[in-house]
Amino acid sequence: MAKNFSIEDGNLYNAPITTSIKRINKDIDTSFTAKPSTGDIYKVTDAAAVKQSVKNLLMTERGKTPFRPYYGGGLETFLFSLSTDLEPSDIENRVRQTIEAHEPRAKLVDVKVTIKEDYNTANVVIVFDVIGSTKRVTLGLTIARTR
Amino acid sequence: MTINSSDLDFYNIKSKLKTYFKQSDEFADYDFEASGLSNIMDVLAYNTHINGLIANMSINESFLSTSQLRSSVVSHAESLGYFPTSMTAARAVVDVEITVLNNAPTSLPLNAGSKFFVTIDETNYEFFTLQTYEAINDTTGKFVFPNVTLVEGKVKTKTFLADSNIDVPYVISDNNIDVSTMSISVFPNGNTSESNNYFNIKEVATITDQSRVYIVREAMNGFYEVLFGDGNVLGQRPQAGNIISIEYISTSGVEGNGGSEFNLNEYTGEDYSTNISLVSASAGGSSRESISQIKMNAPLAFSAQNRLVTADDYTGMIMSKYGSYLRDVSTWGGNDNIPPQYGKVFVSLNFADGINEESKTTIENLIRSQLTSNLSIMSIDTEFVNPEITYLELITRFNVDPVKNISASQLEVAVESIITEYTNLTLSSFDSSFRRSNLLTLIDNHSNAILNSKMEVKVQQRLDIDSIVTDLNVARKALDPQSEDLTFMEKDFTINYPVVIASPDKDDHIIQSSMFKWYDKNVFVRNELGSTRLQLFDVNGDVKLSNAGFYDAAKGTVNLRALRIDVDGYLSSGLKISATPANQSTISPLRNYIIKLDSSGSTVIGNTEQGSTKVLL
Repeated sequence: MAKNFSIEDGNLYNAPITTSIKRINKDIDTSFTAKPSTGDIYKVTDAAAVKQSVKNLLMTERGKTPFRPYYGGGLETFLFSLSTDLEPSDIENRVRQTIEAHEPRAKLVDVKVTIKEDYNTANVVIVFDVIGSTKRVTLGLTIARTR
Repeated sequence: MTINSSDLDFYNIKSKLKTYFKQSDEFADYDFEASGLSNIMDVLAYNTHINGLIANMSINESFLSTSQLRSSVVSHAESLGYFPTSMTAARAVVDVEITVLNNAPTSLPLNAGSKFFVTIDETNYEFFTLQTYEAINDTTGKFVFPNVTLVEGKVKTKTFLADSNIDVPYVISDNNIDVSTMSISVFPNGNTSESNNYFNIKEVATITDQSRVYIVREAMNGFYEVLFGDGNVLGQRPQAGNIISIEYISTSGVEGNGGSEFNLNEYTGEDYSTNISLVSASAGGSSRESISQIKMNAPLAFSAQNRLVTADDYTGMIMSKYGSYLRDVSTWGGNDNIPPQYGKVFVSLNFADGINEESKTTIENLIRSQLTSNLSIMSIDTEFVNPEITYLELITRFNVDPVKNISASQLEVAVESIITEYTNLTLSSFDSSFRRSNLLTLIDNHSNAILNSKMEVKVQQRLDIDSIVTDLNVARKALDPQSEDLTFMEKDFTINYPVVIASPDKDDHIIQSSMFKWYDKNVFVRNELGSTRLQLFDVNGDVKLSNAGFYDAAKGTVNLRALRIDVDGYLSSGLKISATPANQSTISPLRNYIIKLDSSGSTVIGNTEQGSTKVLL
């Protein structure tokens, strides 16, 4: 004979008990462009905020942030490595370690690194999922000297 | 909404910024360290941190007691009229014998600046003579130079062209200068050898507009700078275009102490034979006054106002002038002395290592002639007394946990070294107290195998029988040169302890001496049980003399009446007389007493605990 149990006692048939907290990522747009209407700076939200955050993280030199000597990707330091000493896997590992350590909102899917020795350039393509969202983000970074 | 920004810590400041953002839903990414918002908060927090730090440091550096930078401490001290002492050069005294093997002259000079070398801790140091010594041929070609004073360091000269601006100091770019050796000559121009000497303003009693004085002080960067008068109230100043020549000794300071085997750099070669014998090893070299010393001495010197009135005035003045020769000074008025001697100030000097008796007398005479005769109150005499050493006998017992894997004997060695280290660090100077609970805490904390500890404390004074017998023999020979040396001595003694002695006890002896010979028998002194009367006992504990004196517990004295000690068989380490103090927890010496540990009289006993809590009594 079928019996009815309360939801608290484990009867999941009559109502779902899953809940979630709605959280939207909201950050300052680090391009610091002003809105023409108000003069305020723009905001970046949702996946764009996480994408901006990952870019900030990877392009920050280690030792540049006060009191956090190991914070940052330090990808620029690879620019000054000898091409014969540098493998794409070095950059890939650095990207993986940095994101895992410092950006909990990004779940890394793939990292691809292409080194163009003749142009003193490395292209990095990072694909990650934004946790708490269905969006998959692709971030392309080019490490090249500016002058 | 307020942001409390008085915190100095970066993370605390940043967390307060985050708290601010939490109260608004404008931005949500403040918690993620890679976000733009977090980066901006980093900048804000860092800025606040730096501002807070600068504000805190500025306030700290504004006061003598909290300053950390040497330049700030020196500046505050100068505003109190106190100029920190520079490095001082070590000095040694030697006898030099030079034998000229061929064609010896009638006299031989040892010129000022003659170099001597010595090795201290595997480093070579250069000493030189300050003056020229002359010796006469003793007809065999030998020239003897007695008591030659050597100074460590090198003479250096800095030359300046006098400036017309009176505010410009002349900087001597040398950290190692001994300021007391500085001499300044001012030449009218570069073509003449005639010069005027200028004198340190601290050594001049009266200043007129014609006085030639200079002020030397430590500069911001640790170098020294010289200033001259303004041409009016502070005396003459060199005119623009004059040549100022500053000569001084650049020294190694404290590192030059302890040199004993000197070699002369002159009169070498096959024509000469040189023999240098040591009179006193190099001593008196010191580093420049440290920050903590300046903080202590400057207020004392200020309150003394260059006068000797209170006991602290004497201490401050003597330490600031002769601190390089001294470890410590204790001073007290005659009214506080036992017995009281009114009209006197007692000064006890605890000399640094390596100062010989002759140098000690010289320093005492210098203190009299340069300080106390000029600066003290009229009709107050200064009397120097030697420091009295009071030894501590510590009987330490501790229980060892049998479960822990460490033996009692291993711990005994460790506890012995803790006791030695503690006494070395905290005792051996005036005004330093022994506190039993502090030491027992260190012992308890050493290992979790030590379950508990206790300590019996005794204070011990020593009678130097050798020197007493020597003095008696000298006195007897002065009366009768034919008299023979004493075979025994008999004398009354009053031995002062710096603490109150325990009252008589029915079970334990309060006073006990080491063994000595009495009518050819081995005996020792101890008090009768339950009485202050002192008796002589033999090794079997039988009374040999029923009344040898008494002790006064309240006054802290042991009085031995006509104590006879056989000279023959006496073991010359001083007769040790131990007393149990009334308060074993704290031993605070008075006046000129210094506490030291008697290692041979102290024992450490570790006992492995065997008891169980699961049995009946």
